[in-house]
Amino acid sequence: MIFSSHLRPAWLGVAVYLVIAGAALVALLGYASPSDWGRYLADPYTWRVVRFSFTQASLSALLSILLAIPMASCLFHRRFIGRQTLLSLFAISMVVPTIVAILGIVVVYGRNSWFTSLFGVSFPLYGLGGILLAHVFFNMPLAVRVILQAYQLIPDAQWRLASQLGLSRWHVFRLIEWHYLKKNLPGLFLLIFMLCFSGFAVVLSLGGGPRSSTLEVAIYQALRFEFDLNKASYLSLLQVFICSLVALAVYKLVPAIRQDVSLYQGARLLMRSSRLAMLVDFGSLIIVLLWILPPFIAIFAPIVTPLFWQTLWQSDLWWSLWHSVRIALPSGVLALLIGLSIAALARALRWRRGGDGWAQKLEQSGNLVLMVPSLVLATGLFLMFRNIGISIKHAYWIVVWVNAVMALPFVLRAIMPTVYQQEKRFRHLYEQMNVVGLARLRMEWSQIRSAVAQGLAYAVLLSLGDLGVVALFGSKGLETLPMYLYQLIGSYRVEQGACVAVVLILLCLVLFSLINRLIGGRRVVV
Amino acid sequence: MLSFDLRYRWQDFQAHYQAQLPLGVTSILGASGGGKSTLLALLGGYIEGQGSIQFEGQELLSLAPYERPITTLFQSDNLFPQLSVWDNIAIGLSPSRSLSDEQKHKVHWALEQVQLQVYADKFPDQLSGGQAQRVAIARVLVRKKPILLLDEPFSALDPKLRSDMLHLIKDLTHRYQWTTLMVTHSPADAMLLGGQALLLEEGRVVVQADAKILSEIPPDSPFNRYLHISMPVK
Repeated sequence: MIFSSHLRPAWLGVAVYLVIAGAALVALLGYASPSDWGRYLADPYTWRVVRFSFTQASLSALLSILLAIPMASCLFHRRFIGRQTLLSLFAISMVVPTIVAILGIVVVYGRNSWFTSLFGVSFPLYGLGGILLAHVFFNMPLAVRVILQAYQLIPDAQWRLASQLGLSRWHVFRLIEWHYLKKNLPGLFLLIFMLCFSGFAVVLSLGGGPRSSTLEVAIYQALRFEFDLNKASYLSLLQVFICSLVALAVYKLVPAIRQDVSLYQGARLLMRSSRLAMLVDFGSLIIVLLWILPPFIAIFAPIVTPLFWQTLWQSDLWWSLWHSVRIALPSGVLALLIGLSIAALARALRWRRGGDGWAQKLEQSGNLVLMVPSLVLATGLFLMFRNIGISIKHAYWIVVWVNAVMALPFVLRAIMPTVYQQEKRFRHLYEQMNVVGLARLRMEWSQIRSAVAQGLAYAVLLSLGDLGVVALFGSKGLETLPMYLYQLIGSYRVEQGACVAVVLILLCLVLFSLINRLIGGRRVVV
Repeated sequence: MLSFDLRYRWQDFQAHYQAQLPLGVTSILGASGGGKSTLLALLGGYIEGQGSIQFEGQELLSLAPYERPITTLFQSDNLFPQLSVWDNIAIGLSPSRSLSDEQKHKVHWALEQVQLQVYADKFPDQLSGGQAQRVAIARVLVRKKPILLLDEPFSALDPKLRSDMLHLIKDLTHRYQWTTLMVTHSPADAMLLGGQALLLEEGRVVVQADAKILSEIPPDSPFNRYLHISMPVK
């Protein structure tokens, strides 16, 4: 069954994906000479980088979660004007290109910033302060959404009981919310930690020098400026090692959970409020608004200035827009194809004797890039091409491929639940009537198209906003919008950069809604 | 005396409940979809309706669920799975679960009433369905609210256990002078509980009578319509 002919394209897709990834890693490790690693181990710079990566990632994750918990609780229990807007803002801030948000933050807090003109003193943006500011900007909304999802799993009966017993918001939090939250927090912490630990664009732009650098940036420097492949492979192994270690430690801490299965969802119930609850709700709302809102306003403010329209006439802008699209669309499609291949095999394996574990492993293989930094993959690919005698001209395909791999976890998250659901409900019917391959796809299309569109849209957006692999190669034909933006910020042409940022965001929105409408077949709100 | 005059709309369903209930047990009968559980949800404050609910001169409609002199026992999920049996009862006395000696004594007493003393440290997932509902009844006892609403809480139990529970409820209702309303599908349960019987049809109270009449229903009574549907004639 699993080896039948209609699954051949899927096998091919997965094989190509894994072979290329494997070959890239092998090519990179070929340049590693572990005998030198003793020297690197003794290098205090490496340890400073590791220490700083650790500190900023832990602080970012901690801050994001600490702010997100009261925010999520408030959003769950209270209905107020602007609540829906705030939720949409959170959704947008998760997909807004990193470099665009960085620009917003620079306008608000950098030199000659709003902050300076408001308070007369300058904000210590470059260094830990700026990194935390940006990381929390991206990850606190993510944390709020994850926590709200966890809240959805709390059976209605618990709120009903709490309301009947007159528990206060604090008691409700301690008794119900915390109980369901605590099993999600380690995973959430880990996710944010990893995202920040391997953070690249933020640290590169706001780190302000070698004092506050992360491993990922150190890898970038080793590759781009020192071209020391040995050091780069050592640093990437170190990064993979530390990430795995943290993952293990955090999952050891996950407490056992007592949960019932009833998931009846009904009306929202009134909890006993108190002055303290009001204060906490209001306080967290204010902090979150102050954190998220100003950079957004800063991004969209230039649209009313004449400079914006002048910038629109620059040919550089349109060239970089073309490069962005030229990379993002193929890499999105590639990510989707690999994702669908993995999905096709995983669904065929799942619910079969002994196949469950394999289905899970397949899914996890898509998360490769969460463990192995994209820069490392890109370098490996570059070396692989060089080994077989193909020159740097093909950096384009490397960027496309690495961006696709980077988007894979998100694509899988978008399509897997729907695909599994179809398999679970109809697999007996499919088997009985031998509906396979294209026939099955045609039958399922109306059910899965919106998930497929969502996956593709995420992949295209991620690739559009990427500033990592392009920065590594940064050669002709690869000056994408984020790259262009990065250069503008670097040369303190922030106002012009803001205009480019608006163009980039508009491009994201247009592609996102186009994909969702054309492929998803319906209007989708971000 | 509990009296209500309640209107409620949800999509095509329009309900208008009116009745005056004396102390003691009242069974609520009616076909599925007739609005039995809706009535309890309205009384408990879990959904919003218009009109009034009067109990001993007090208007309850504007009160939050926890401010009403009411305890509801649901079909399931009456316990917090994350709390032990003891804590599940204690939380009825104090949300923080830090009890005075007198309150602790009360929890002991309630556990004794439902004969679950040895289960105090167990968790709900270690209990059978009947035991879980008895723990919930123990909490009803410590909460001392004068109105008890039961939404088919014993429907999943075997016949013997079910009749034990009904006897317990009947007994407690008389002993503590409660006003107890129980939704049930079974006329036999209503007869066992005694007191009053309400028949609901399409969101309206069509009959209110002594539960005894269920054993000998006059041919012109609306109860006949319901019973012919719900069980074959003997």
